[in-house]
Amino acid sequence: MTLLEFADVHQSYGEEEVLDGISFGVDRGAVEVIIGPSGSGKSTLLRCVNRLTDIDSGDIRLDGTSIYARDENELRQQVGMVFQDFNLFAHLTALENVTLGLRRVRGFSKEEAVADAHDHLERVGLLEQAESYPAELSGGQKQRVGIARALAMDPEIMLFDEPTSALDPELVGEVVSVMRDLAEEGMTMLVVTHEMGFARSTASRLTFLDDGRLVEQGPPEQLFERPEHERTGTFLRRLTELHGGIDR
Amino acid sequence: MLLQSGAWEYIAANWVYLGWGLVFTVCLTAVSVVLGFLLGLPAGIIETYGSGYSRGLVERAGVLVRGTPIVIILVAFYFLFPLTIAAFWAAALGLGIRSAAYQSQIFRGALQSVGDGQMEAARSVGMSKLDAIRRVTVPQALRRSIPGFQNEFTIVLKDTSVAYAIGLGELLTRGTNLYLTEQGNTAVLEIFLAISAVYFVLTMTTNLSLDALGRRFAIPGGEGR
Amino acid sequence: MSAASTVRGRVVKVTGGGLFRWLAFGVFWGYLVVRWLYQWVGADLLGMDPRAPLLPVETFRTLATTWDGTRIGGLFSFLRVAGDALPAAVTGTWLTIILTVVAMAAGLVIAVPLAVTRVYGGPVTRWAALGYTELIRGTPLLAQLFVLYYGLSLSATLRELPFVGEGFIPAQAALVAMIGFIINSSAYQAEYIRSALQSVEVGQLTAGRAVGLSKLQTIRRIVLPQGLRYGIPGWSNELVYLIKYSSLAAFITVPELYKRTRDIASGNFRYFELLVVAGVIYLGLVLSASALMGRVEQRVAIPGLGE
Repeated sequence: MTLLEFADVHQSYGEEEVLDGISFGVDRGAVEVIIGPSGSGKSTLLRCVNRLTDIDSGDIRLDGTSIYARDENELRQQVGMVFQDFNLFAHLTALENVTLGLRRVRGFSKEEAVADAHDHLERVGLLEQAESYPAELSGGQKQRVGIARALAMDPEIMLFDEPTSALDPELVGEVVSVMRDLAEEGMTMLVVTHEMGFARSTASRLTFLDDGRLVEQGPPEQLFERPEHERTGTFLRRLTELHGGIDR
Repeated sequence: MLLQSGAWEYIAANWVYLGWGLVFTVCLTAVSVVLGFLLGLPAGIIETYGSGYSRGLVERAGVLVRGTPIVIILVAFYFLFPLTIAAFWAAALGLGIRSAAYQSQIFRGALQSVGDGQMEAARSVGMSKLDAIRRVTVPQALRRSIPGFQNEFTIVLKDTSVAYAIGLGELLTRGTNLYLTEQGNTAVLEIFLAISAVYFVLTMTTNLSLDALGRRFAIPGGEGR
Repeated sequence: MSAASTVRGRVVKVTGGGLFRWLAFGVFWGYLVVRWLYQWVGADLLGMDPRAPLLPVETFRTLATTWDGTRIGGLFSFLRVAGDALPAAVTGTWLTIILTVVAMAAGLVIAVPLAVTRVYGGPVTRWAALGYTELIRGTPLLAQLFVLYYGLSLSATLRELPFVGEGFIPAQAALVAMIGFIINSSAYQAEYIRSALQSVEVGQLTAGRAVGLSKLQTIRRIVLPQGLRYGIPGWSNELVYLIKYSSLAAFITVPELYKRTRDIASGNFRYFELLVVAGVIYLGLVLSASALMGRVEQRVAIPGLGE
């Protein structure tokens, strides 16, 4: 059953067409991994889903209704977002990063919020660091707080915008493992990443974007082993050489 | 140029009179800085996040105020205010509004330095723009504003002396009054040096206190995200 | 970082500029220049009163009387008072500009060695430079002017010097103000330059020494050219501040722009009109200075450096 649907999405920045007619659906519980060279529009596509970026034409539907027919803040609560640069609130502890949304958006009492936040921090393995400030955390820990913060809003779908790109190689594993756990729990995920290990092992489907167009889509094995398009093969081979195909 | 001991005795004998000047200077600074903050912070927020019209208005008003000498602003408030107001309030309004125009720039710069990512992250969990400004960007920006605010505070402190122009009995005016007496005539240099020294101590105290404030509210581990 | 790290905040940043702005600058400077020329040479040549406003003030007066009590009458009444005051105001503006420009230039000459000492000096010279800048920046400019003018009676000394007050040499009070502004501005400029110098990477100094330049040569040829560029925004700010603070010279009797308009106002009690005249001229000077310095900033920018 389709949870998220892109219908002929166009988006341009000045003269440049960033998204040039994207159409596809994401099933509930699926892990959709989007790959493509830089500037291919993958991050923009993600940002359109929670309306950080507005589209020019077409439609994006969540659970059958257009995201533009919903209240913006309510939509964003249902769509969790994890950023490449973490964007943790620098002046708040890990715990407060999670409770802020619970209190201000979901209207939890302080006690409820703290209890719930503790659960989410535990889920990403960071209960010990609850009182630490972002600057006191490693990149991997920051990103896991970022995931906990998004999960706390009880979203229907999670968006990951290159969640491991800003991390030192040895810290990638801990974040990937949290994402994998999430996938196993049945969370619907839309992931932009260069992490081929994760794509191979966890993606239900790979989507290759280039130049704002959807080039090819299919199960990971198919795209890795027998891509239909020359471009897909070249891109994946180069990426695997760069980032290693080892399953972490 | 001799620094005569008689002159220092004359200054010492008038310490109560000068002391009241100090009180005026300190109160005027405090009221003006607070007024500047109350107007300057919203102005800075509008300049950063406001829509075209409100932003344009605030920006223009800021340029106008920042482009005018403080003495003209003070005299204008004193002579042109529709109601006759005490020199103290004219000075406080003038210095406060001028300070607001500068503080808005400090806060705008600090808000911009917080980065778009923080706003996006706050909006992404479903917070309204106003909530995000209040809970996420402003608290961070305020910390970053402390060095600029420190500057602004001492500038206001020093510029209270310009209230001399409207005859407010602050420190410098009282010093001038002292030297205009018969006895004071021979103590001019000493009087102005003593008063300058008091200002110097005040600016230093302000700076040290705000340094301490900055350390008190620093985010552990620095400013990483 | 010392306790009193006072620098003056950014005033205005004038960038770009529509037709209207250039037109306004044109009218502003056009009138100033025409009036100066008229007053210095034109009136003599034409055999006219050098204090003539060069504006139809009499017409304004007539119109003001005709439309008395209405908004339009008020406007013409304003124009009449402003027009009458302009000759004196424009004369004062010349002194304001002279005070500012000389103080900035001479202040810079003092500020550069001061800043270099602060950053690269030995312990004693460094403390001396720090003491000077902190003392000056920790006390009000007006108090400094009073120390020089009333406290040290500098004007009495200056009066004895030749040429003072003759031709283009300002009178003694203005010279005292100038000295005060130079001292004051040198401290602030030194602070800007110091922080600019410190923003030049340490590696630059090392690299200079590595190619065999002496320390002084390295500072002069490598660090200063970069540091002074970083210092331009601060320097532009200081210029704007000085334009505005030069008005404080009025309190030691210097007939610059503010004093001229204030004196007229205390004669005719038209405070509003005269404050507007003074305010508009100061604003014109400030905006022109920022626009000019914005140009300079672009001109001397090194591609890819700073920002």
